[in-house]
Amino acid sequence: MVSGVPDSLSVPNLRVAEKLRRPLSTLAGVSGFRALVSRALTLAKAQRPELSIIQVKPDGSLDISAVTPVPTTNGAGDRKAGESEAVEVLVTELLWLLVALIGEPFVVILLRDEWPDFPVPETESRSESVQ
Amino acid sequence: MTPQEKVKINKLPTGVPGLDDILGGGLPEYSFNILAGSPGCGKTTLAHQFVFANATPEHPAIYFTVLGEPALKMLRYQQQYSFFDLSKLNNCVRFINLSQVLVERGLKGILEEITREVEATTPGIVVVDSFRTVVRHADQKEMEMQVFVQNLGLLLTSWQATTFLIGEYAESEVRDNPVFTVADGLFWLYQAVERNSVVRKMQILKLRGQGSVPGMHTFRITDSGLQAFSRTLGLSEHISRNVRSTKVLSTGVPELDAMMGGGIPEGDSLLIAGSSGTGKSLLATHFIDAGLRQGEPGIIAVFEERPEEYVERATSFGLDLRTPVERGNLQVIYLRPLDLSVDETMQAIFDAIKTTGAKRLVIDSLAGFEMALSPGFRADFRESLYRMIYSLTALGITILSTVEMEESFTELLFSTYSISFLTDDILRLRYVEIEGQLRKIVMVVKKRGGNHSKDIREYEITSRGFVLGQRLENYDGLITGIPPRAGTK
Repeated sequence: MVSGVPDSLSVPNLRVAEKLRRPLSTLAGVSGFRALVSRALTLAKAQRPELSIIQVKPDGSLDISAVTPVPTTNGAGDRKAGESEAVEVLVTELLWLLVALIGEPFVVILLRDEWPDFPVPETESRSESVQ
Repeated sequence: MTPQEKVKINKLPTGVPGLDDILGGGLPEYSFNILAGSPGCGKTTLAHQFVFANATPEHPAIYFTVLGEPALKMLRYQQQYSFFDLSKLNNCVRFINLSQVLVERGLKGILEEITREVEATTPGIVVVDSFRTVVRHADQKEMEMQVFVQNLGLLLTSWQATTFLIGEYAESEVRDNPVFTVADGLFWLYQAVERNSVVRKMQILKLRGQGSVPGMHTFRITDSGLQAFSRTLGLSEHISRNVRSTKVLSTGVPELDAMMGGGIPEGDSLLIAGSSGTGKSLLATHFIDAGLRQGEPGIIAVFEERPEEYVERATSFGLDLRTPVERGNLQVIYLRPLDLSVDETMQAIFDAIKTTGAKRLVIDSLAGFEMALSPGFRADFRESLYRMIYSLTALGITILSTVEMEESFTELLFSTYSISFLTDDILRLRYVEIEGQLRKIVMVVKKRGGNHSKDIREYEITSRGFVLGQRLENYDGLITGIPPRAGTK
């Protein structure tokens, strides 16, 4: 899902995002997947306004090259941490969006196809989780 | 070639109750089928029922979505049905979207993608939804379309997949569309709105290799998906009226049995016609009660009052229906929802007959039955009633139907439905005015299978039920309702 970052797969959250792209594009189509990601991005921006610099490309992949590095204690800034945080928020929103559309059991099945060890989540609605 | 050498075509269950009977046992394995109809008529739901009824990890189903209903939305709604088994997703049932492939690479790309997936997965079932959008894409290139359909059919049959292509087609397209020529099965779903009610019907226009039940079959969509109602309830092959029983059944009123020449011949359809309050339902209750006393289970289909009220009223005449209901020997089925089709009603009755082993059936009343039907089915009421009565009596079920008559004092009508041809026997109840009293008379108008009394006899409804009196010998013109004393004209 991520482009413009040559070593993106070294960031755990980016690997997660990349693995999700294949099954979701297969299921919903490329344009369907792009629409989902765009919606998830809009929702994520409500929490993290700085994500507005992320662009969704026609194939649903993201251009996150302009993400601001996370400041570090030495003041240098950690680019990968910034990318990882941004993608984490986005992936979270994408999964909640899928849960709202097709239900948690189906989403869990999709996740388990990619991560067979994915744990069965305890039942929890979004409204409960944010309280 | 002996029958043993012929290739055996397995029949797959469709997962749609009633549809297997219509198809002649199920859907032929490896067949290439078109599922057509207007938007919202249930095509996708039917395909899903078939998929979830048959897909296994060894023989999975691939459901290709093309331009049309977005896949996520389809899944959002389809999973509401009880047949939608989430545990089958991805290991038995896979959904693949080909919209982008169609837009970018056209028919050739679609065929390549389907080929790639089929060869990789070796599915037992393939669905393309909506195939119509694929066809539209190639509307101007008929030859390309024909080659595509031909190749798709060859591919899927060779890879031993049973296929459904779903599309929104117009009936006029059936004649010269190459898709329909290649297809082994052609299923058409219809829905029509008539006077605020929706009527759904399906037709099997084509099914290679096996006999399906011709004609239009009604179906309903419920939380469980589609349920189809065969025009013949799958009974046609079992029906034979050649061997008739010689047994006669009691009406429950011995004197009335005598008037009928001993009773009602088993397997007959008896009509009791009369105006409101003449005791039609009471006679029906006597008939069921008499059977129960002989150990014959029964069914009462009521349309105008609740089963509890029906049972309670019987009690007030000393007839116990409650105990047999509790023991399962009697079912009082209430069929009042609007928009019923005759086939649905028949299915409910037939299911009850199978459950109880009933030999006697009461339909109380035909007027209520007609009112419970969708307006679209009322036009065919007589024809439908004929099918129903014919099918059930051929199975040896004895049917007693009641019909309410508007009382006339100038003529004697037997039925407002002109359905006497449907019935073997007719009893007519009516009011007469005699000596300043409104009294009741009964007569046997018709008995197909033998002699009957020609008497017109008075009767009363008492706490003991229907009590037959004497022949009214001293009056003429009883059937006019206003009889003068004999010899006073």
